[in-house]
Amino acid sequence: MYNKTPGWLPRFASATAEGSMLPEEVGEEEGEEEEEGRKGRRRTGFSINDNVDLLAEILGRLDGRSLGVAGCVCRLWSAVGRKDSVWEAVCHRHAAGGGGATRSVVAALGGYRRLYRLCIGPALDRLAGSDGAGLSLSLSLSLSLFSIDCYERLGGRQQQQQQSASLLFLCKPVDVS
Amino acid sequence: MKRERQETVVATETEDEKGKGRMEAEEDGGVDELLAALGYKIRSTDMADVAQKLEQLEMAMGSSAAANDDALLSHLASDAVHYNPSDLSTWVDTILSEFNAPSPPLPPPPLSPAPLQHHFDLPPAGTEQNSTITTVDVPSGPRCQADAYHLDPLHVPAVAGRIVYGSDTQSEVSPPSRDRKRMKLCSSPPSSSSTTDAATSPAALPVVVVDTQESGIRLVHALMACAEAVQQDNLKAADALVKQITVLATSQGGAMRKVAGYFAEALARRLYRPQPARNLGRSTLDFAAFDDMLHQYFYESCPYLKFAHFTANQAILEAFAGCRRVHVVDFGMREGLQWPALLQALALRPGGPPSFRLTGIGPPQPDHSDALQEVGWKLAQFADTIRVDFRYRGFVAASLADLEPYMLLGPDASDRDSEEEPEAVAVNSVFELHRLLARQGALEKVLGTIRAMRPRIVTVVEQEANHNGETFLERFTEALHYYSTMFDSLEGGVSAASDAAVGGGRRDQAMSEVYLGRQICNVVACEGADRTERHEALAQWRVRMGRAGFEPVPIGSNAFKQASMLLALFAGGDGYRVEEKDGSLTLGWHTRPLITTSAWRIASAAC
Repeated sequence: MYNKTPGWLPRFASATAEGSMLPEEVGEEEGEEEEEGRKGRRRTGFSINDNVDLLAEILGRLDGRSLGVAGCVCRLWSAVGRKDSVWEAVCHRHAAGGGGATRSVVAALGGYRRLYRLCIGPALDRLAGSDGAGLSLSLSLSLSLFSIDCYERLGGRQQQQQQSASLLFLCKPVDVS
Repeated sequence: MKRERQETVVATETEDEKGKGRMEAEEDGGVDELLAALGYKIRSTDMADVAQKLEQLEMAMGSSAAANDDALLSHLASDAVHYNPSDLSTWVDTILSEFNAPSPPLPPPPLSPAPLQHHFDLPPAGTEQNSTITTVDVPSGPRCQADAYHLDPLHVPAVAGRIVYGSDTQSEVSPPSRDRKRMKLCSSPPSSSSTTDAATSPAALPVVVVDTQESGIRLVHALMACAEAVQQDNLKAADALVKQITVLATSQGGAMRKVAGYFAEALARRLYRPQPARNLGRSTLDFAAFDDMLHQYFYESCPYLKFAHFTANQAILEAFAGCRRVHVVDFGMREGLQWPALLQALALRPGGPPSFRLTGIGPPQPDHSDALQEVGWKLAQFADTIRVDFRYRGFVAASLADLEPYMLLGPDASDRDSEEEPEAVAVNSVFELHRLLARQGALEKVLGTIRAMRPRIVTVVEQEANHNGETFLERFTEALHYYSTMFDSLEGGVSAASDAAVGGGRRDQAMSEVYLGRQICNVVACEGADRTERHEALAQWRVRMGRAGFEPVPIGSNAFKQASMLLALFAGGDGYRVEEKDGSLTLGWHTRPLITTSAWRIASAAC
């Protein structure tokens, strides 16, 4: 039901910004939504913002980019969008593998959100760009790269802030001219 | 002057085609009327043929001047018999055949110029075309030149490299690619000739013989000739050839130019500094620090080291399955970049992490800083984060042969053995073992030390090339081919990744090239104990390991999949190939394997 394109998002955004009640779910009475939203209470009085767990569950089904966008909707959504559990769901959706102990190790290394931002996201972009040829990203590979990056950032005894460059090969080049 | 004549020929040719073609056919057995008025008898049917030959003649004369072949020109000036040029076609034929008699000093390359004839649909003009075409050069039209460089600069090093390596077997491979290159080149000029733009004369001709490959081939031949001269101790000739190589290298682009530059520099070093050059060893201050930095850039910019680490880790992980105490000995610690991934994998394995001990071995640091301890501390911090019990010990050793088994097994071994289960030991060597071949007996001693530790697995990563041949020429040839491919792969990787990237990507590539350049210098310019880059191919390592009592352990499919995935993540990664060969994994660029990861254990029969 939820595709990658969050076409429903702007409508939520506009409704929320006006502080009125949100319509329930996507696909219902699209023409009427905005009008009713503006007018005030809907029939059922259900607000997604009152059900944070449900919101987290929904957001966890997005892809990374959409989740980032969703985090720009409002403060509540931003807070929910930062929860590592939400990103954990996203990571597991895109990278196969991982066992029970994964969560604690990933948390120790910096969290799922960071893992996605540094490793899984760029890797997926790279695979999509080139001919992915059905190679699915494995979580273990992402974790290996992530751990190398985390290690590089550790200071030595001097506690200096290290520049981590081992993941540069994944990043798209940025034109700094 | 010749060019004008050609222009006239072309102009008249196109004019003829427009209006007067029919009339010509009837006159004097078809002699062209306008040219006859100038005094040149030529049949209209022969026009295209003669035009082509005139172009070739010009190329031959032009290029021989470029190669400083003074002998040839002076021969023409003084000894040549001057033929009557009024019968233009036979005149051109005779002059061309004269060019064949004093053939250029370099042996003709094994390519057949048959592809050339495919394009022009001309009657095969006879055998004298064959060797002349080898000396053609880029024609004057700047547009053509730009096309030539623009279209396929990357193919040049690849083909040139292949020419060096094979002998006749490779000649089958090269003409098709030459064909393709010529096909591409000629697709534009014919269209321009149809626009009858006689002003841009060479571009309008249907005879486009543009060839950066030619100078590439000459460059390779010059390199080989220089190496031969060095082997025969012919220092004068070698000196002259080194200068020629430098000049020829500037006409190339991209990878080939850089490779040629490094090889030329190495040859020059060999010629002018016969005593062992100290700064090519590992002993000086600047070298060691610089070397580490270069190694870091090499790690970041291309997948070779990452491939090595990931595949070795996978083999070690599988060998450690079920062990509660593990000990890894790393022969080349450097920054310890291989180990975070292994620690993480051990932390996540079913059953939880083992207690992990790491022994790192590194060279003495000139400024007496304890780099090994720094690295150990960092790894300990990392292991602490992911809650893996970690112990570390660093060993400074100028050469691996200085190590003794009792040092590596450590003091803990004696107390703990009685209480708990013995440690599972893994020995890891990434590009370290080949250095030992510089000293007699060193490798055997180290392999004996390894055996004494009774490891579960020994992972060895080495370059897949034989740079330790008996003769200098052998080593040179192998190295030329190998490093050409390596530089190609660097070129492919960065250019694909960075359309807009400046700075970072290019700097990484440049540093990686310097890193490889040092290896080239060592292979070519050093001898004896200083020549530490004694790479050998897997087959040779198999023999050595077998003799020392080890048997191969097949590296599983997990490693293969992970390696393939890793390579897919590198931009420009479609040139890289992972292959499995008798249980070892090789990473190569297109068809050429470059590094090999293999795993070993003590042969059961020998126990």
